[in-house]
Amino acid sequence: MSIINESLSKSPGISIALVKYANIFKASLIERLAYRADFLLGTFLRLLPLLTTILLWKAVYSSKDEISGYSFRQVVAYLLLVHVSRMFSSMPGLASGVARDIRDGNLKRYLIQPLDLMAYLLAYRMAHKVAYIVTSLPLYSVIFFLMGSFFDLPTDPRIYGAYVLALFLGFLIGFAFELSLGMLGFWFLEISSFLYLVNTVNFFVSGHFLPLDLLDPWVAATLKLLPMQYMAYFPAALFLGKIGSWDSILLGISIEICWCLFFFLLARFSYRVGLRRYGAYGG
Amino acid sequence: MNSRRTLSSYARLLTVFAKYSLAREMAFRGNFAMKVLLELVWLAILLIFFRTLFRGVDSIAGWDRHSFLFFIGCYYALEGVIETFFLENFVEFGELVRSGNLDLHLLKPIDEQFLLSFRHVDWSTVPKVFIGAGMMVIAIIQSGNAPSSTHLILAMPLFFAGVAMSYSFLLMLSSTAIWMVRNQSLMELWWLFSTLMRYPRDIYDVSWAIPIKLIFSFILPALLVISVPSEVAARHIINPGWIAWTLIASVLSLKISRMVFQWSIRSYRSASS
Repeated sequence: MSIINESLSKSPGISIALVKYANIFKASLIERLAYRADFLLGTFLRLLPLLTTILLWKAVYSSKDEISGYSFRQVVAYLLLVHVSRMFSSMPGLASGVARDIRDGNLKRYLIQPLDLMAYLLAYRMAHKVAYIVTSLPLYSVIFFLMGSFFDLPTDPRIYGAYVLALFLGFLIGFAFELSLGMLGFWFLEISSFLYLVNTVNFFVSGHFLPLDLLDPWVAATLKLLPMQYMAYFPAALFLGKIGSWDSILLGISIEICWCLFFFLLARFSYRVGLRRYGAYGG
Repeated sequence: MNSRRTLSSYARLLTVFAKYSLAREMAFRGNFAMKVLLELVWLAILLIFFRTLFRGVDSIAGWDRHSFLFFIGCYYALEGVIETFFLENFVEFGELVRSGNLDLHLLKPIDEQFLLSFRHVDWSTVPKVFIGAGMMVIAIIQSGNAPSSTHLILAMPLFFAGVAMSYSFLLMLSSTAIWMVRNQSLMELWWLFSTLMRYPRDIYDVSWAIPIKLIFSFILPALLVISVPSEVAARHIINPGWIAWTLIASVLSLKISRMVFQWSIRSYRSASS
């Protein structure tokens, strides 16, 4: 806390604001690393679904070489890449945290302190993501190294740039989407079951579970119209060359930027409207 | 003190817990409906996945469409049993450890493991047990290959052995909360772990996956939970060795998980003020 106060005591300005959020970033990083034993257990368990689905698909592909344009190698590569997508776009506890702050009145700390809710949470989440990505990097490097034979690396260097951009935008969409959901807390007292429902649906419609292209064509086409695909499917499919020509990639990224803006505006707008209803309960 | 308690008083307590939980659920009907809806969505995902898997192939690792559907039904029903009786309780157990409120429960004149395992009954997941059972029946009817009474008599205790093993894994997983500062939801960790049960164990018959198959058949026997009862009922495979081991493993895991739980409770140092 003291580092935050220290920066606040100085005269306000853009650079001070940056220092403030940089400090929040630092404090959140330290907090995150305190849970490393649990974190390791979680990381290990998180690899289990990957393992079991790879084995399942191997059994499926034992009698076939290609399903809906995907070879077994591509499905495996997809499942690995989707982990990377989710590493950026998943925001565990963001929506429920915001809803809780609204419910027990803790939201007022953003109203009385010179701290913007959205900027604070963005800095906080970035720290979590950096901590998560850095700590799981060794593990993922080993996995990607061991499974390198499943990948056909893109030859067009532009794909790599587009991929990194898609991941970063995926992070922003994931953040703003969850934040918008959390704002529902202004209107409903208890939204945890609803959030659980959204997460379960998202797990499927984002393409986390399996490449969307393997579904019935009309289901796949519908799901590709939704913003959720950018949280898992789009970056992975882009890397695998499944999006198509460079033009369709650019189109995809432009739509992604629009969704990103949409959710940021939605979160900001519902925050404004919500605050008018807000009663700041609690001590 | 515990030995003086009779089985009937535990049964009576269980009824009271169940009634209280039902009354509590009915106070928040919207939430209840949402939870039921969630389970149906999950079922839909499982079925779409099932349909997608079988879009181009007739059988997967020796399981045809019908036996695979039976497998999914069995998994869904077992998940229902675990979620109805235990999952919520263990999620709360972690919270009690974190907040230091566990003290209150340890002081009660009753077996701690019983109290912490059965305190709440989650009624919203009861339909899963019936839907799962329905799926198993449909799968058997569609296959036109009904199991004999021997198969059914064998499959029933094997299903409960699966429940016992899953309960034990869950108990051990939540006991670790005493030693590790927990920052992740037990629900998620459990969901990840139960992935091992979700697909037939035959898919592990790949050279590099054999060690995994051995570990999760003999040390943490998660692979047996759904596979063994489903093999007996849907594929009429009777392998005495695996059946006997599944039954033995269920008793062993109950015993071992109880030891782990009691050990963890002994190292519990009440938190907070």
